[in-house]
Amino acid sequence: MIQVRGLTKEYGTRSRLRGAGVVRAVDDLTFDVQPGKVTGFLGPNGAGKSTTMRMVLGLDRPTAGSALVTGRRFAELAEPLRVAGALLDAAAVHPGRNGRDHLRVAARTHGIPLRRVDDVIDQVGLGPAARRRVRGYSLGMRQRLGIATALIGDPAVLLFDEPMNGLDLDGVRWVRRLVRELADEGRTVLLSSHLMSEMEQTADHLVIIGRGRLIADASMQEVMRREDAQRQVRVRTPAPGELAGALKRRRLQVHPTDDGDLLVEGATAETVGDVALALGVAVHRLTEEHSSLEQVYLDLTGDTVQYRVARAPEPAELVRR
Amino acid sequence: MTAAQATDRTTAAGPEPGTATLLARTAAAEWLRLRTVRSTWWCLLAAAVTVVGIGATAAFDEATGPDTPSAALPATLAGEFGVLLGQFGLLVLALVAVTQEHASGSIGPTLQWTPRRGVLLAARVTVPVVVATVAGVLLALVTDVAAWLIAPQLTLSATELAGSLGRVAAVLAAGSVLAVGVGLLLRSTAGALATVFLLQLVLPALLPGFGVEWMADLGELLPGTGAVWTLLGEPDMTAAQAAALLVGWSATALAAGGWSLLRRDAS
Repeated sequence: MIQVRGLTKEYGTRSRLRGAGVVRAVDDLTFDVQPGKVTGFLGPNGAGKSTTMRMVLGLDRPTAGSALVTGRRFAELAEPLRVAGALLDAAAVHPGRNGRDHLRVAARTHGIPLRRVDDVIDQVGLGPAARRRVRGYSLGMRQRLGIATALIGDPAVLLFDEPMNGLDLDGVRWVRRLVRELADEGRTVLLSSHLMSEMEQTADHLVIIGRGRLIADASMQEVMRREDAQRQVRVRTPAPGELAGALKRRRLQVHPTDDGDLLVEGATAETVGDVALALGVAVHRLTEEHSSLEQVYLDLTGDTVQYRVARAPEPAELVRR
Repeated sequence: MTAAQATDRTTAAGPEPGTATLLARTAAAEWLRLRTVRSTWWCLLAAAVTVVGIGATAAFDEATGPDTPSAALPATLAGEFGVLLGQFGLLVLALVAVTQEHASGSIGPTLQWTPRRGVLLAARVTVPVVVATVAGVLLALVTDVAAWLIAPQLTLSATELAGSLGRVAAVLAAGSVLAVGVGLLLRSTAGALATVFLLQLVLPALLPGFGVEWMADLGELLPGTGAVWTLLGEPDMTAAQAAALLVGWSATALAAGGWSLLRRDAS
């Protein structure tokens, strides 16, 4: 469980000479990340995802607010790797050290036995590359090393910042399977991405931020429902006028397209097909068109005020959880 | 690992290890960090070649040169002279151990494994300083013995040796604390190296050479001058002045570097 409360980070110059250039990278964020689920942390590049994660992990000092990991500030933990593992930046490894030694150092800080180092090397499929220097690693291998480091203490909380960057298709599938397994084991998994499409198949819950502010904190189903509301059906018929008239009588919104098809909003293919059959007009093409989740996400993050699918949880709700 | 186990661990975590245990583990990890990168060994090799090489050459020069009336020079001069120049390999070792983490970004993982920054600071200062100091003392010892074997007219007594190695240890401990402190403060290898070289070697050597009084006076306020006095007894100053230079600069650098690690965002 991760609890973020009013978390705020300002960067900038307090110098009067250079003007008051204060930037709010993270602006009063409040959300929870629940165990047993994969929570997608979504936002465009520069939205403040990484900064938020760095503050959760005690790397950056919040300007205001707090973040708790299993009820404690991360920076107070004596054995943090046994509580929360994280992969923030796969490139942040000494290039001259080999992967196994990198993991040995992590293990040494916690008194974790060497056997566990070799276990996680096997688990992430690093294999013999673990004894090569990190300088020669591909980004995908660095991601695997970073994930191995996060897993080494067998923690209940995991944070991954864009873990699929630089992975090939097999690697992406592997990360998806892994985070699913980790969540199914009852762990708290926070997975950031700027790509909605990555989340469609991975996340159970979404925390969406834009310009440092919370835009949505909702389950995947809620976001999908919103998507359903925007569903439309494209139909091609030799008698568009007749069909459009019949559909309009059923109070459906119908728009002709440039290529002579009809777009029917908020309807299913069954409805449109049945109407056409009852009318006795031929149907040459009938397809459901989802406005993609990607589009929903772009709408959400494009304007942080106008499209609010979920309000931030009230304090009372937070206490109840 | 089942869900039950995963939740068990978070609710019923065992007692946390104490600060002493954490310090020991963190120091062991720092030592492992040092010895698993090649740059450490290159620095040690460079220091060994310079310290022993210069000391041995000086001894050879003494052995083959014309007899001087005051022939009873101590062999420990060789080690001290070698360390005066060869200390930079060891200071670079200590400095790079700190700055490399900021250059590669691996300070991020490091702080995720040791988020209590006070513990990290203690280990991060102690381990490279001890390594540099011990290595320097051992190299000085080897150089002294080698010089005595090369030039048998040099004297070598246990008291001379103990005193000389003590002075070498003091210079290296102060120098490497300065290097680590500046490294923690500036976080950039190039900037920290330039600063330490200027303070420890370049300015103390150059400033008196201009023959301008204020420049010479300024030179006498630098840590490198304290190091030169401790090793060679030049220029004119008291032991208290030299000690004040070594301790004062190291303590200031450590305070500034410590503040940087403890209070600033990691980067």
